Amino acid sequence: MNKYLGNKAALALFLLPALILYSVILIYPVLQGVFRSFYEWDGLSTATFIGLDNYKELFGDPLLLTSLKNGALFALVLVVFQIGLGTVLALVCANPRTRGRRLLKTAYFIPVVLSVTVVCQLWIAIYDPTNGLINRLFEMLGLSYRQNWLSSPTESIIAIAFVNAWQFMGYQFALLYAGVKAVPEDYFEAATIDGCGKWRAHWHVTLPLMRETYKFCFTIAITSGIGAFVQMLIMTNGGPGTTNYTMTFMIYRYAFMESNYGYACAVSVLLVLISLAATMIINRVFDREQTA
Amino acid sequence: MKLFNNRLGAVVIALSTALLVSACGSQAANDTTQAAAEGGKVQIKVYAQHFDEDTKGPFDYAVEELKKEMPDVEIVLDSAVQDGYQKLKTYAATGNMPDIYFTDWTTLQTFAKSKNVELLDDYSATTDYKNNLNTGVESRLIAPDGHVYAFPDTGIEFQLLYYNKTIFDEVGIDTPIKTYDELIAASTKLKEAGYLPLSIFAKEKWITNAFYNGLVTREDSQGLGALDEPGVTALPEAFVTAAEQMKNLQTAGLFDANATNTNYDQASSLFYQGKAAMFVNGQWEIYSSTEKLGDQVDWMYWPAKDEATFEQAKSSINGAGAPGGYAVSPGSKNKETAVEVAAFIAKKSAEYRYTKLGSPIVTPKVDKEIAGDVPAMMQRVADELLPNATQYAKALSSTEIQNAMNDNTQNMLVDGFTQEDFIGNLNRTLEKQNQ
Repeated sequence: MNKYLGNKAALALFLLPALILYSVILIYPVLQGVFRSFYEWDGLSTATFIGLDNYKELFGDPLLLTSLKNGALFALVLVVFQIGLGTVLALVCANPRTRGRRLLKTAYFIPVVLSVTVVCQLWIAIYDPTNGLINRLFEMLGLSYRQNWLSSPTESIIAIAFVNAWQFMGYQFALLYAGVKAVPEDYFEAATIDGCGKWRAHWHVTLPLMRETYKFCFTIAITSGIGAFVQMLIMTNGGPGTTNYTMTFMIYRYAFMESNYGYACAVSVLLVLISLAATMIINRVFDREQTA
Repeated sequence: MKLFNNRLGAVVIALSTALLVSACGSQAANDTTQAAAEGGKVQIKVYAQHFDEDTKGPFDYAVEELKKEMPDVEIVLDSAVQDGYQKLKTYAATGNMPDIYFTDWTTLQTFAKSKNVELLDDYSATTDYKNNLNTGVESRLIAPDGHVYAFPDTGIEFQLLYYNKTIFDEVGIDTPIKTYDELIAASTKLKEAGYLPLSIFAKEKWITNAFYNGLVTREDSQGLGALDEPGVTALPEAFVTAAEQMKNLQTAGLFDANATNTNYDQASSLFYQGKAAMFVNGQWEIYSSTEKLGDQVDWMYWPAKDEATFEQAKSSINGAGAPGGYAVSPGSKNKETAVEVAAFIAKKSAEYRYTKLGSPIVTPKVDKEIAGDVPAMMQRVADELLPNATQYAKALSSTEIQNAMNDNTQNMLVDGFTQEDFIGNLNRTLEKQNQ
C-alpha cells in the first residue's frame, strides 16, 4: 500500500480527472457566481459593475425573509420526521426479535425510488380540500376539522415539507440503520447485563456511537431544507403568491423569470454561505459532544 | 512499478487518441450537416413552436407555401420547447442563434439589449407587413419603443367569461350579467344550487391576473399597461376599485377554495362536466368548450360596477397586444432572406389560422374566405366583438410589476389576504420600479 501511495505521479494522475471535474462543475460556477453577484447582468448583455448594490437590495427584499423562514421550517420538519422517526425505525429494524424486518426495510425505502413528480401528484390528491383523503378521513370520523392544506399561507409550507420528509425518510433510515448495525453488539449487551433497559441502552450506548452518522444525516436534512425547491414548484408553484418561496425559488424567479442574473447570483452566494454555516455549526456541535 | 507506469502511459495515450478521433468525427459530422443543403439551396434554421395541432398545422402549412414561393429556401425546423424561452436564451448566450426564432415581448426586450435580434424597421418586408395589418393590432408589430422586432401571426388575444346556459337557466340567472353586483348574486344562487360558480386554473398565476385585468379594463381601458408609466408609484383608482371587487367576489364564494392549486385540466373538466357554471380563459377556449358543451356554452362581457359603465366599457377588450412572433438573428449568414422568410411564415401561419381554423384573431389581413365551420361563439366574436372594439388594453412591459401582479392577484383568491395587502404590496413594487 505504501509503495503505491509513495508514487506521487500516479496519485496525481488518478486524482486529476476527478479534481478537474469537481473544479469545472462546482468550484468554477461558485466563483463565477460570486463574481457575477457584483454586477447588474441579464445573462446576455454586457454586465455593469454595481459593487454591493445587489446585496443591499437583497437584505431589504421581503422575499428573503419569507424564504429564510420557509427554509428553516422545511429543515425542521425534515429533521424531526426523517431523523427522529428514521432513528426509531432503524432501531426497531435492527432488533433481531422484530418480525418481518426485511419487508419493513424495503417498504420504508420504496418512496425514495419513486419519481418526485409522482409523489407530489399523489400528495396533491391527498391534500385536496374537497375530495382529498385527509379531509375525507376527518369527515368519516365525524370531525368538522377541515384544512385547505396547500392554499393556507401559513401552513402549506409544512404540508409540502412533510411530502419531502415522507419520501426521503427511507434514505435517512438506510443511513441510520447502517449506523446502528456498525455499533458492536458487545457494547449493547454489556449495558443490558449491567441492568440497562433496551431503550435506555440505545440512548446511552448506540446513539452516542452513531455520532458521525448523525452528523451526516443532519447536514443532509438541514441543507436540503434550506435549498428546497422541487416540491414547491410542482405542488403550489411557490404560491399562493410567494408564500411558499425558498431561496432556491428566489434564484429561479430572478434568473429565469426576470432575467436578473446578477441579483440571482447574490441570492445564490447567500444560499451557499448559509448552507456552509449550517454545516460548520453541525460539525462544531457534534465535535464538541465528542470532546465532552 | 516500471510495468505499471508503462501501462498507465498506454492508457493515457489510448484515451487521448480516442478523444482526438471523436473530435474529428464530430467535425466531420458538422461538415456533413452543412453540406446537407441540396442543389445550392439556402438553409434557414427556424426555432418555432411545433408540438401540437395548433402549432404544427400553421407552421407546416407556411413551410409548404414557402416551397412554392421560394423554392431555393430550405427550412430546417428546430422545435421550440415550452420552457419560457430558456433554450433560446442559451442559444443566444452561446452564440448559436437560429436564423429565425419565435418568441415573446419579454425575451425580445432582453435580446434587443444584447443585440440578439435584428431591427426590422427598414426592410421592405416590414413595410409590406405594416400596410396589411388588421385594425387595432399595431401593438403586435410595433414595439413601445417604436421599433419592429418580429412578425406576429396571431392577433391580440383576450380573455372572456364563459358560462353554461343550461345551468344558468336551471338556477334562474338572467343573462347577460352586466354588473359586478349581479355576478355576486349569481354566485350566491349557484352555490346554493350546488354548483361551483366559476372555475379558474389559478395555479397558473397569469389567469388570476387576467381576471383582475378584466375588472380593471371596465374602469380604465388601458388595463395593466397603465402601470408602466414612470411616476405611477401607487395604484390608480381603477385598480383599487378592481381589487375591492375581486376580493368581494372571492368572499362571496365565486372561486373554488382550492382554486390556487387547480390546473387547467382540472378547472376545465369541472366546466365541461357541468359542475362549474362559469369558466375564465382566453378566446382560444372557444374551440374546446364548443367541442365539449356544444351550444350549451356562450361567452359574456366583463361585468362593471354599474350598467352605464358596462355599456360604456363593453367594447374595451381584456387583452393586450405585445410585440412577438418570428424574429431574425442579426448573426444570420442569410439575413436578408431570413427576414423575407420570417414575414412569409408569419403571414401564411395567420392565413392557416383564418382559413382552416376559423380564427379571426390574426395580425395580417387575409384576403381569403374564413373557414366555413366556425363555432358560434367565435362567429359572435367576429361579428360583434371585434368590429365594435374601441380599445385593446395596453401591454405591461415591466417584468417586475407583472410578476408582482401575478403573485398578488393569485393571493386575492385566498382567505386572509385582504385588498389592503394587495394594494400595499403593489404600491411598494410600483414605487421601486417607477420612481
